[in-house]
Amino acid sequence: MDSLTQKIRELASSILKEGTVDMVMGFAEGTLPMTSKPYMARTPEQADKFIWDSSCTMNLANYITGRKEKIGVIAKGCDSRNIVNHIVENKISRDQLYIIGVPCSGMTDKNRPDHLRDNCLTCTHKNPVIYDVLAAELIEEQKIEAPFADVKAIEAMEPNAKWSYFQDLLKNCIRCYACRNACPLCYCPKCFVDESGPQWVGKGQNETDIQTFHFLRAFHCAGRCTDCGACESACPMDIHVRAFTRKLNKDALDLFGWEAGLDMTKRPPLDTFNPDDPDDFIK
Amino acid sequence: MANLFEHMGMEKERLQFSWISSAEAGKFVNVATEVANSVEALGPIDKFVKKID
Amino acid sequence: MAEGTMAEKKKTKIVSFLCNWCSYGAADLAGVSRMQYPENIRVIRIPCTGRVTPKFILSAFREGADGVWVSG
Repeated sequence: MDSLTQKIRELASSILKEGTVDMVMGFAEGTLPMTSKPYMARTPEQADKFIWDSSCTMNLANYITGRKEKIGVIAKGCDSRNIVNHIVENKISRDQLYIIGVPCSGMTDKNRPDHLRDNCLTCTHKNPVIYDVLAAELIEEQKIEAPFADVKAIEAMEPNAKWSYFQDLLKNCIRCYACRNACPLCYCPKCFVDESGPQWVGKGQNETDIQTFHFLRAFHCAGRCTDCGACESACPMDIHVRAFTRKLNKDALDLFGWEAGLDMTKRPPLDTFNPDDPDDFIK
Repeated sequence: MANLFEHMGMEKERLQFSWISSAEAGKFVNVATEVANSVEALGPIDKFVKKID
Repeated sequence: MAEGTMAEKKKTKIVSFLCNWCSYGAADLAGVSRMQYPENIRVIRIPCTGRVTPKFILSAFREGADGVWVSG
């Protein structure tokens, strides 16, 4: 067992013993090799189940939404940014949380265990943004020369080429909504796809319905997405769902100078009005 | 919204925004004509329409 | 105007979401003033442009609109 896992277990069991928190959220070994599952420990003994390796792709911020008890949560860089999002959006209060920060060196692609995930390759926030205690030393952030090269490649295409690119991208989608369920941002009590009056989007495998779902899901994440890659890791059909949110992240950065989940005192850009907001698109 | 739309390959003239006061009938007519002309130039739509089979 | 272009015009439909207090008023005034505007604009009056969500716009396209115009 490596020292990081050891340290996480120690920290988790000590805060459970002291009663600082009612439970600790972390990762436990999954049912298959090289997988992990979210695990909630309520007793110091259960804390021995925690692990930390390169398969902890899920975003634990997803599970703290609207919780009432005091929670200890193990957070890598992107998890902590999503926790900041939740605090800003009043889904949980900072006092309820005890954050065990884990500087993260990237998670592996589930299909290629010797490769990092795409979003980890371009990650510039490996260290947790907020934490109460650290499980390891902070690591050096990488500098990315061209963070949105993939988005720019699509932007350079002709409208019809873009359209066929996205048609091709979504042709395998089975509408399982795993991307939505894995996403810490998707916490609406009733998702627009489940609304029946009016019904915004059909239930079947119709091409337009699939496109509508992905388009709207991505748009709901505009200015909030931290590019944690949980959607893509959850997708059973290996669809590059981040193709949508990446574009929105780029726009948020270009138009508003905004990266989600870095500052607890600021509201997201689509949530506020500022006279300086870009308005070139209005005639 | 318009940006992601364009990113997905819709022509950007298909979705337009404007700001017209209730006193500006002239501007309304101008913008309406402009919008109509730019959409006409693109012709009928074939993307994002729900086809019933 | 040539007849050909008029026939062309009828092929496209533009769904326009107009704010009751701004553009809808302007459209009303344009009508009262007997000003001519393209007939392929289909007006939907909404209480405020702030009410328009991406869902509305996508719904319009899904139902076969050739263009969507949101005006406040």
